[in-house]
Amino acid sequence: MLVADSHRRSPLPLTCFVFVLLFSLAACQGQEDSRGGTEGVIRLTYWSSQNPQERAVAKLLVEQWNRENPGIQVIVQPLPAGQSSEEVLLASIVAKTTPDVCSNVWPGIVTELVRANGLVALDQFANFDSLMSSRIPADLYDRFRSPDGHYHQIPWKSNPILLQYNAGLFRELGITAPPRTYSEFLDAAKKVYLDEDEDGHPERWIGNRKIHPIWHERRFDYYAFYLAASGGTTFDLDGKFVLNESVSDQVFSLFRELWKNEYYPMTELKGDPFDRGLIATKLVGPWNIARLRENATPGLEYAFSPIPVPDDYSGPAFTYGDFKNIAVFSTTRHPEEAWRFASYLVSKEADLLLLEYATQIPIRSDILTDAFFADYFAANPMVADFAGLVPNARGVGHLRAFPEIMDALAQQFEAASVFGVISPQEGTRKAVDRIRAIEDWNQ
Amino acid sequence: MGQVINNIFARSFRSLSRGRNVSGYLMIAPYLLHLVIFLGYPLVFAFVLVFHRWDIITPMEFAGLKNLTRLIHDDLFFKALLNTGFFLSIHIPLQIITALFFADLLNKKLKGQDFFRTIYFLPVVVSGVVVAILFSQLFAFENGYINGIITALGGERVPWLVSPQWAMPSIAIIVTWKNVGFYIILFLAGMQNIPASLYEVASLEGATTWQRWTRVTIPLLNPTMVTVIVLSTIGGFSLFIEPYMLTGGGPLNSTLSAVLYIYNQAFYFNHMGYAAALGFAFACIIFTIVFLQKRFVTKDMYS
Repeated sequence: MLVADSHRRSPLPLTCFVFVLLFSLAACQGQEDSRGGTEGVIRLTYWSSQNPQERAVAKLLVEQWNRENPGIQVIVQPLPAGQSSEEVLLASIVAKTTPDVCSNVWPGIVTELVRANGLVALDQFANFDSLMSSRIPADLYDRFRSPDGHYHQIPWKSNPILLQYNAGLFRELGITAPPRTYSEFLDAAKKVYLDEDEDGHPERWIGNRKIHPIWHERRFDYYAFYLAASGGTTFDLDGKFVLNESVSDQVFSLFRELWKNEYYPMTELKGDPFDRGLIATKLVGPWNIARLRENATPGLEYAFSPIPVPDDYSGPAFTYGDFKNIAVFSTTRHPEEAWRFASYLVSKEADLLLLEYATQIPIRSDILTDAFFADYFAANPMVADFAGLVPNARGVGHLRAFPEIMDALAQQFEAASVFGVISPQEGTRKAVDRIRAIEDWNQ
Repeated sequence: MGQVINNIFARSFRSLSRGRNVSGYLMIAPYLLHLVIFLGYPLVFAFVLVFHRWDIITPMEFAGLKNLTRLIHDDLFFKALLNTGFFLSIHIPLQIITALFFADLLNKKLKGQDFFRTIYFLPVVVSGVVVAILFSQLFAFENGYINGIITALGGERVPWLVSPQWAMPSIAIIVTWKNVGFYIILFLAGMQNIPASLYEVASLEGATTWQRWTRVTIPLLNPTMVTVIVLSTIGGFSLFIEPYMLTGGGPLNSTLSAVLYIYNQAFYFNHMGYAAALGFAFACIIFTIVFLQKRFVTKDMYS
């Protein structure tokens, strides 16, 4: 009885409960302040990319903005960690924790974000047209228009994928020019192959790719080679999936040869195998130039060339462009100010910083001819090679279930190319069948 | 029935209104809240999802039985189930044999016993992600440490994680390595509960070491064995981290576990309704197997 009485009278549980409640309310209040903008100062949150170079650019830009705009203060944060920025953005849309502005939006998810009413239509703002025309020619506007007819992204940067090769090793092996065709690539692979201890397993390869059927990895090998071989034709034809099956067969066949002859390893090689001399080529975007400048082994000679194409291909070089754009999220309470800040992020000065710090290519139709960037490109001809390919870099279009479509292709890529258990033709056919089923399901 | 429920509620409200047990209710409130928010609500919500299409970001649409129809025709889900079964068929015996072996060693009065107990338990507390990274280096085909040793001894490289035949057994080895410490402790506790007099009697009767092991130790460990089998079955069904980190479900879907497949549907492709349908189907399968296991294995073991 005494115990029961003491329990009934104990104020501890009630006190704890009240404290938890008060702390929760206080936390909510804090959140309100930081987002809402009190004391007359508007506060915006800006998510930048996570890599150190882009974070440095973002920090510089935001510091300058905050100095010049005391009434609109921006807090910059790197995108929260996740498997990919796409997953993080979708999760934050669901949780309604999106920033005001984000500069790392992959166009492949813009359609999804628009469907979720997650983005602000930018063509409502007065200077939208002039800003767009400064970045892309009018005939390319369509690439950035959402299916609802509005524009929800500012074209920011395009990183065309090229073949990085070990120029010193190529010279040593008598490979006089970087491989342009599949035959040349396979010939080079044969020369690079090195089995020093003659145990039947090489210690040096022409290149490497992840063998796991992970859809986003296939953008940088299968899809890049497909675009190069198809003259830049994407899978998206007015919202419908279209595949050039003979081109797909050719790409599957090339990679099948690479793995069958052990020109590509089965294992993921740790560290940077290119820098360690284990592989002679790598599929990369211009960002790798900044990375190599800081980390490459002294004496490593490298250069870039377009992605190899089938022997019978004639036409200009095309590739996959890893586009990232800027968007304003509909959770913002200050769309006008967010738009002003987003416009500031694509000023010429900001674009030059992006080139200098991150060696990434701003989308600007006159970038190679504008005197403002001339000194930079004169001093960085490798970056100019990438910039020259931007007009021929293709994204992923506006297909609704693009990740799932790529997953279907990744599954068959694994079967037909990595393990060679089915023919390339069968791989393509199975992928198409699966994609038709996915389209039916998603209708 | 309705009257009984009304009475229960009436009693509860009366006791609450009199202030009795308020502290008790407040004490259990955090756990109760946790249970309702993190278990009850998601469970009900997931069941609702089974009959809807939902991609998380747009409003859900009623889909009737479409998710279930799709499930019945989904070859990949059945492959994932078979893969999980194959994994369990390697993992459970391997786990039991290894755990018994080491528990028996630790049960002997050997030097440094405490040290070895700690060492064997260490992998249990290490993060699964860390274990996966460690084994990705050990089991690498071209430049892995284990293949390095094998080739140094004149053997052929083993395609641990890159062959459809080897990948799932390799994953079973990794999962066993990670969890065996826990089961060693269970068996060790079971062994230490066996009266020493039984071994003395067996010795006096002239029993060999093998006979003492099979006639005394194993039969008296049966209750522990049941626990180990049930726990490893349930744990094995939730196979996810290792294939997710090491193989992505490949090669050729040979390590695609049921949980990994459900995860892919939910978080790669945003098919929340379909993933919920898969989840419920999988839960029913686990429930049935564990139920049968409890019914038959327990009965056999105790008899």
